[in-house]
Amino acid sequence: MKPCGILNHMVAEQSPRLDQVFHALAHPARRAIIRQLSGGERNLSELASPLRMTFPAATKHVRVLERANLVRRRVSGRQHLCRLRAAPLKDAMLWTEQFRRNWEARFQALDSLLEEMKSVRRTTP
Amino acid sequence: MNPQGLQVSTPTDTTIVLIRTFHAPRQLVWEAFTDPAKMRRWMLPPPGWIMTVCECEVRVGGALRLAWKSEDADPVMTLDGVFTEAIPHERMVHTETMRLGSGETVGTLLETHEFSEKSGVTTMRITQAYDSKDARDGAIASGMDQGVEAGFKQLDAMLAHAA
Repeated sequence: MKPCGILNHMVAEQSPRLDQVFHALAHPARRAIIRQLSGGERNLSELASPLRMTFPAATKHVRVLERANLVRRRVSGRQHLCRLRAAPLKDAMLWTEQFRRNWEARFQALDSLLEEMKSVRRTTP
Repeated sequence: MNPQGLQVSTPTDTTIVLIRTFHAPRQLVWEAFTDPAKMRRWMLPPPGWIMTVCECEVRVGGALRLAWKSEDADPVMTLDGVFTEAIPHERMVHTETMRLGSGETVGTLLETHEFSEKSGVTTMRITQAYDSKDARDGAIASGMDQGVEAGFKQLDAMLAHAA
């Protein structure tokens, strides 16, 4: 629905890191972990409990986030402290954000058209 | 980000989902999506392009045909599709193949539109299913050349507390 699709073939060189970011974001539990971490550094067990998840299951999700470079983990005594790294998230968000805006611009034009159609319908018996 | 505005998500490796609400009954939204005269009003091409063809025959087996032309040069771009499902005011599915003037195919996908209405507000859900992850990623990346810097500034503000 858009001639900007013309640029499709330019994309093959998107970095594999971005693939990993998208894979990491594709699971609701991992998105929940990211939301928690946006409040600051958290212990791994603190992340697991609100998700009703076992420690090993949470560890698995955190590993995926680590591979995508979205989370950094440091071990302090018996604690595994996780911290959000915003930069890759920023790349990924920016990536979809521009796509979103291009479409949103069209839908705003559609909003105006619909207003017009509604008023035509009101005035036509 | 405006929560009332368009939401874009990528639930699988090959799909993009667009969700948005419109303050209008779904009959009107449907009409705006399927009546060529109305489609031309809002399906705005990128700057420097004009829409030259807009045909839409929304019935199973019916054709969708759109074409654009660059204002200052030869390039043309066409989009051809066939409707595989059409339930008026509710759901339509069509194939979509984009080609350059040279005939080279630059992308194919299956697009599903779903409309539901509650108290005069219509929720639209578009699912774009691409052939491959590369094609999906390409569709998202295709708008990247515009306004990137402005986007960065906004995101900086948004993510300031997360870093």
